[in-house]
Order: sequence, then C-alpha cells, then structure tokens
Amino acid sequence: MSALLRRLMYLLGRSRHDADLRDEIEAHRAHRQDALERDGLPSDAAAWASQRAMGNVTLAVEDVRDAWVSGAVDQLWQDIRIAVRGLRKNPVFALVAIATLALGIGANTALFSIFNGLILRPLPVRDPGRLALLLNGSWSYPIWTEIKARENDLFDGAFAWANERFDLSRGGQSTFVDGAHVSGRFFEVLGVPAVRGRMLTPADDADSAPDGLVAVISHRFWREHFAGGDDVIGRQVTLQRRAFTVVGVMPPGFFGVDVGRMTDVMLPFAAEALMRGQESRLASVGSSWLNMMVRLKPGQSLEQANAALRGVQPQIRAATVSGVAAARAARYLTRPLTLASATTGRSSLRTQFETPLFAMVVAVGLLLLVACTNIASLLVARALARRRELSVRMALGGSRGRLARLLFTESLIVAMAGAALGLVFASWSGALLVRQLTTWESNVSLDLVLDWRVLGFTAALACASAIVAGVAPVLGLKSVAAGEALKDAGRGLAGDRRFAVRGTLAVAQIAMSLILVTAAGLFLRSFASLNQLPLGFVPEPLLVAELDLQSSDTPIEQRGPRVERLRDAAAAVPGVRSASLSRVSLLTGGGWGANRIAIDDGPMPVEDRSDQRLWLNATTPGWFETMGTPLVNGRDFTDGDHVGAPLVAIVNQAFVRRYRLGRQPIGRTVRIGLSNGERRYEIVGLVGDSVYTSPRDGMMATMYVPLAQIEPRAFGETVVLTINAARGQRAAVERDVAAALARTEPTVAFTVRTFDQFIDATVTQERLITMLSSFFGGLALLLAGIGLYGIVAQAVRTRQGEIGLRMALGAQPAGIVRLVFRRVGVLIVVGLALGLAGSLSAAQFVGPLLSQVEARDPATFAGAAGVLGAAGVLAAWLPARRAARLDPATVLREG
Amino acid sequence: MGLTNTPSDLLPGTLELLILKALRPGAKHGYGIVEHLRVVSDDVLRIGESALYPALQRLLLNGWVKAEWGTSENNRRARYYRLTAAGRRQLTAEHAEFDRMVSVIQRVLAST
Repeated sequence: MSALLRRLMYLLGRSRHDADLRDEIEAHRAHRQDALERDGLPSDAAAWASQRAMGNVTLAVEDVRDAWVSGAVDQLWQDIRIAVRGLRKNPVFALVAIATLALGIGANTALFSIFNGLILRPLPVRDPGRLALLLNGSWSYPIWTEIKARENDLFDGAFAWANERFDLSRGGQSTFVDGAHVSGRFFEVLGVPAVRGRMLTPADDADSAPDGLVAVISHRFWREHFAGGDDVIGRQVTLQRRAFTVVGVMPPGFFGVDVGRMTDVMLPFAAEALMRGQESRLASVGSSWLNMMVRLKPGQSLEQANAALRGVQPQIRAATVSGVAAARAARYLTRPLTLASATTGRSSLRTQFETPLFAMVVAVGLLLLVACTNIASLLVARALARRRELSVRMALGGSRGRLARLLFTESLIVAMAGAALGLVFASWSGALLVRQLTTWESNVSLDLVLDWRVLGFTAALACASAIVAGVAPVLGLKSVAAGEALKDAGRGLAGDRRFAVRGTLAVAQIAMSLILVTAAGLFLRSFASLNQLPLGFVPEPLLVAELDLQSSDTPIEQRGPRVERLRDAAAAVPGVRSASLSRVSLLTGGGWGANRIAIDDGPMPVEDRSDQRLWLNATTPGWFETMGTPLVNGRDFTDGDHVGAPLVAIVNQAFVRRYRLGRQPIGRTVRIGLSNGERRYEIVGLVGDSVYTSPRDGMMATMYVPLAQIEPRAFGETVVLTINAARGQRAAVERDVAAALARTEPTVAFTVRTFDQFIDATVTQERLITMLSSFFGGLALLLAGIGLYGIVAQAVRTRQGEIGLRMALGAQPAGIVRLVFRRVGVLIVVGLALGLAGSLSAAQFVGPLLSQVEARDPATFAGAAGVLGAAGVLAAWLPARRAARLDPATVLREG
Repeated sequence: MGLTNTPSDLLPGTLELLILKALRPGAKHGYGIVEHLRVVSDDVLRIGESALYPALQRLLLNGWVKAEWGTSENNRRARYYRLTAAGRRQLTAEHAEFDRMVSVIQRVLAST
C-alpha cells in the first residue's frame, strides 16, 4: 500500500524527480572528476574521462523510471490508448455497446436512487439516529398531551405532527398544498434551523399565541410563491380561507419527517382549533390523527426508551380512556406503546412499494445481465474478427496476460462510459418514475440525490458489468495460438469450435429475456384485467364535486339546507342531467362503515371487528340514477324520508348474499350497534352492486341511508355532489357548475374531479409495475434480437467461402437458409426451454403482485415464448437470407 | 566503456544487499557507496552507475533507504542515502538468506 502511495507521489512529481536524478548523476560525475584530479590528471582531461566513465545518463534515468513505475502504470496507460483507438476504429460497435450499458446501468441506478431516497437515506436533521417513532398507526391529541407532559423525563424531547392538506385559494375551487400541524417543539427537537425568520416555538402552539396565526413554509414554497424574496417574513398566506403570517422558512432539503411527501406549510396544532371550530379534534380521544416521534437521550437504547414508556403507559392510557367506547376500552388500556427506530423517517410509501420495488430491482438486474451478455457477445465477435491481429501480437512477444488485459481494458472503458451516460439517464428516468406515483390524493415528492451510496452503486455496477462482459472474450483468447492466424488465411469452415462461448451466451440471453418478457406479459394482463373490472356504475358522464362545508363559519345545523341550495344550483346548469348528494364518494379510498350488524331479531355481535365492516353511505333521492346503478327491487329514497320519519335503508346484492337475506330482503330490519344501544333500519330497496373502495377489492356489502335522515348536528364537514353531464359536455359543465357553486355560496370550498382520477389512483402500483416491466421486457427482447442477429451474421460471414462452395455445387437457397437455421434453431429452443423453467420458478415472486391473473398463466407463458421465438427467428432469418443470396462466383473469387 | 562490472555476474539481489551493508555505518552519497565497495573489496567490485542508481531507486521504492540533499566533504552538492529501520531489518534478513544460499551452493559444489 505504501509502495503504491510512493509510486503515485512519484507520478505526481515526475519532472521534479527526473531533475533530481539528473543533478544526482552530475554530482556523481563531479566526484569522480575530483578523484581523478587528485590522482594528478589535468582538469579538462579529468572532466572528459569522468564523462566517459559515466556512460549514458539518460538511459540510467529511464532505467530508474522503470524501477519506480515497474511499467505497470505506463502499460495501463498504453492499454487504455490502444483500447480507445480500437473502439474508435469501430464506432458502431462502441456506440451500441455503450448505449446498451447506459440503458442497463441507468435503469438500475434509477431504481436504486429511488430505493435509496425511500429506504436508505437518513432524515436531513440533527443526529437522526436518535429519533424513534411511536408505532402502529396514529394517535389522539389527548395521548400526545400525556406524552408531552413527560417528554423530558423519558426522552430528550418529543414531538407530534399531523399531515393535512390546506386550501390556498381565497374562494371557489380549492388549490391544495401539502402541510401539517406540528407541536411547538417540532423543529427544536428535530434540530432544524430556519434559513429566514424563525421556526415555530411552544408559544405559537399555546391557546393565546402572541403572534396570532403563524405559519412556517418550506424552502421550495418560499421560492415558488414568494420568489425567494427576503421580505417574506411577516407576509400573509391564505390557508383554509384564513390569513396566516409567515414567520420562517425551512432549510432547503428539509421536507418534514414523512419520506416521499413534501410538507410545504407547517402550522401549530393550536391553529387546528381555529380552522375546525366546533369540530376540532384536539379534545377528542376517539379521533386518531397524529403521529409522534421522540428523541432518545444520548446513550439511551431503544429498549430502555420502550421500557421507560411502558412504565408510564397505565397512567397515559387511564388519563385518556374516558370517551373510548366501552367495547374497546379493555383493549385500549392494555395495548402496549412501542417505539421503533426512525433514522430514515416515516413513510407510507415504503410499505406500499417495498415488494414491487424489490421485484423491479430483480428485473432490472436481469436486464443488465442481458445487456452485459450482449456486450460480451459483441466483444467476443470483435476478438474473433481480430484473431489475426491478436495472433500477430502474440507472435511478436505479447504475453497472453497482457493481451487479456488489453481486451479487458476495452470492456472496462465501455462500462465506464456506459455508467457515466447511465447516470444521466438515471437522474432523468428516476424523476419520471417518481412523478408516476403522484395521484389526485397524494403528491409524491422524493429527492433523488446522487449521494455516495448511489455513485458507489453505479461504480460497482460498472465494474461488475466489465467483469461479466469482459470474461468471455478473455476466455476465448485461450484458443488463439501465436502466429496461427498467419497460417490459415481466414478460410474458416463449418464446425469452428473456437469462441463457441458465443452460443452459450446467446442461450443465456434468450433465457433471461424470456423471463423478463413473461413477467411483462403477466403484469400487462393483470393491469388490463384490473381496468376491465366491473364498477357497478357508469363513470363516463360523472363529475364529482367535494364540498367543504367547514370553510364558512355558519353553524353545523345549517349544513343540510346549504348543500340542498348548492345542489339545486348545480342541477340548474345547462347540460346537467342530474345532480345528487352523497356522504362518501366511491373509489376515493375513504369510507364510512359499521362494525356491529344484526338482521331482524338476530343476536348483536359483542366484538367490534373491523374486518367484518359493513360499508355505509348516505344519499339523496335520485343518486342511484345519477350514478347509473340499477334499482333491482323496492324503491329509492323519497322526500318523505327525513329526520323524524321511520329510518329506512337500501342495500346492495352483496349485502343480501353476505347476510343471507334470500329472495325477499324488502321489509326486513337491519340493526346497527352503537356505543350506546343500537339503531334499526327497515330495508326499502335493493340495488345492484358497485365498487366501494377499489375495483381490486371487488363488490362489497353496502348499506345506503337517506342523507336527510342524518341528525343535523352529525352532518359531516364534507359532502359529495355527483353530477351526471350530458354526453360530450363534461368539460363545459365542469366550468359552469364551478361558477354556479361559487355564485350560490361565495365561501364554500370545493374540488371537482372525475372517476378517471380515482380509478387511476387505485392502480398506481400496478400501472408503475406494468410500465417498468414492459419497458424492461421490450428492451430485453430487442437486446436478445440484436445479440442473436450479431451471432448469426458473424457465423455466416466466417462460413461465406463454404456457403459459396456449396451453392456452386448446386445447393438451393432454401437449403442454405435451412443450414443456417439448423444451428440457430438449437440455440433458440434451448434458450426458450431454460427461460420457461426460469419463469416458472420466478412466478412465485411475481405472484403476490398480480391480481386477476394466475402467476403461471399458460397463455401468457406461451405468448411470451412465441414472441421471443418469433424475434429470434427474424433475427436469424435476415442474415440467413443474405447468405442464400450470395453469388457463389464472387464469393469463391474473392474468398 | 560503460561495462564497468555491471552486477549481472552477481547473484540477483546481491547488489541491493551490498548497498544496504555499505550504508550500515552511516549515510553515503552514490559515489561514496561505489568507492566504499571498491575499497572494501580490494578493487574487485566496481559498481557501474547504470546499475547503482536503478538499485538505489528500488531501495527507495521499498522504503528501505531515505534520500536527502546535502554537501559532500569536497564541498559539492550530493544526495545522501540513509538506512531506515525497515532497511536495517531487511539487511539482517537478506544477510542471513545470503549466508544460507552460499552455504547451500558450497555444499553442492563440494559434493562429488
């Protein structure tokens, strides 16, 4: 190691070193001259004699340089020069090889940088290793109050936050920004300083905040909405129709503690009470809506922290148990509080995308192998074409090792160039992939930084590719003998076994490509069938307007009449066929459910089991017609079903199946268990099934109640207005309805969306996987085709003389094509067989990511094999046809 | 000229051993080493510069000697070589190895 270092130092100070040596040798000569003069020689004769005795100074210097550098570095440099020269002589090969690797390495790097950003990178805060997250879901504010009271005894501080979307617009249609309510010491405990102004403090989170409504904004938000101006402190930003004063800007790169989410605006929890008024969740034990993290004391282990927390758990639970439903109280009191390390923050994306990400990493690794095989094959072909040159080099004394290094240097250069280009491709495609994750409900934002992990990964990939691609040609070199090529003047004959390694490569390539193509086929089929699943309603003409009733300060009791006025306004817009209200919009992922259900006089379940959930919705008369869901039996709700009238319900067919209501469900009674007593509904109608949460979950038992029978005080903060627009007028209707709503009630906040957006969001993961795997499969197919084409073309070229001879002796063109195909066919068949076996064993990994399609779907397997076989035959047929068209006379003459 | 006893007729590695031995008493410059070896060997060993300097560079490379510029006894600028601790160890090891080799060779020559 130190010898290497000294060599490096030498290289760096090469000219000084040479000068040193020249001086030293001159000094040596002068000493000899002195000695000669002492022996009595005259000065000039002594100078001449000493000069002569020295011999060649320059040669000595060269010798010494050899001793220093041992030639290794010089030879390496020479190798690089020769390799670059060789690559430049054949630019098409170089370009194909580099582009292939750039795609392979780039795709790998892109996925890895996502993996890195999502899973590996620590939070950009002070000492993230000491952060721990309170596990399993979200918590109520009263629990936080209890933990906050003990934060400095148990830990080195704690903080809570609740992610929210805030409406930035001052009226009409909403424009959302991702934000959060945070506790007063959030920034202090995390150790995140302000770049402008100040961060939030406990004083801001108190009931009587001295600075009024304050907000802290992200660096990005500051740049985009305030143009990065220094006067931002003290300016106003409208959130949920209320004016907030900006008091600080977060540092660049800080996105909050949720990885994959850019929290642009942070408000103290105290602001929640102002925004939600009577419906504030700060005092509610029943609403779980916030997350908590703690900072461990220096030296405190996670186990110690957990023990400390569990020590006070009984007090925390007991202080917050009032208000928890009696049925749940026992479980509530004993469920243990658990902390887990949160160095890398929290992320809901992680669990959602862990499996697909892993599958894609495997796929993209296979793709890189295919790419490397291709390059190996190309390099072997080049080595084969250069056999003459290599053989001459060997005859002239080049050692086998040196030649092997030369070939290897070539693949290393290709790999390095590929990796460099791949990084460019990765930063572009990685960002593109992350954008695909964004849906109407969540903005995914992930910083894909090229940090040391990503760069190291790419460098390792480049080296691995160089080794994988470079080994085959070097192995082929073993069969080259010195001077041999000089003897046989390039008249290759059939059965040339040298470099037979190419055939093996082709088989491997076909096999790996088949695995990728099969996977792509499975994902495509799965995705396509997901999109064809029945919805139970007709989404095309529908617009979904979600009305936020909290934006105005009118009392909750007024909400019923307000939404009725808004519905009437929307229904009066030209082009609107019908407009109806419901409490829940289908396919948004949200829902309203009941967990304890009994039919007629059946027993009411005691246990509160969320997996037995019955989905509920509240609608106005005409909603089923608006949605296009058929009424099978009984009646729709009418204006007579209002508060005070007997409670009625409509159920779907899945409900009838699940609760075994048989042929005549109308008139039967559904009882829903409440924390105090139960509520009885009479079934008055039966409707067709429709999807509630996501098409993948299928048709689920659902019960509908009249919106007009909901207690005025229990009216939710949002309501959904579904509009059925006349054919071809949806866009115009959307604009006019928005205007009509804003005119009718200037303070109402709303969003207008379509079901396409909702459906898209339910299949984000599948869409992404399908996109990626199709890309990989297509690329693998292309690479395998190119690889096979190259091999066959090469084989035909070396056997040109033989083919010409055969044709001169009367062979038919068809016979020549058969001749070529006989050998290629074996490669294709063996490759396909191996690939099928590989796909079958890979199916178990693919299986969990599929829906509606079997992991070993025979049709897909056969199709993939067919496609790959056809591509192989095409790749082989092109050169075979050319061979068959050879003019034997020309070939034999030019030989 | 120039063929002044190049060490090709020495056993490989012997020149380095001799240089290390010559530096044992104290630092010497290149000419000093040549003179020392010539005097000690009664004019038998005459080391040529084209052999000496590459050998010195190899020793430097291995970290067995250190070089620094100084002034010689007759007031000329010269580069002095000094044994390092590693060089001292190497000298002991090579000396022992050389003794072993010589005795082995003698045993072979003595046998009939």
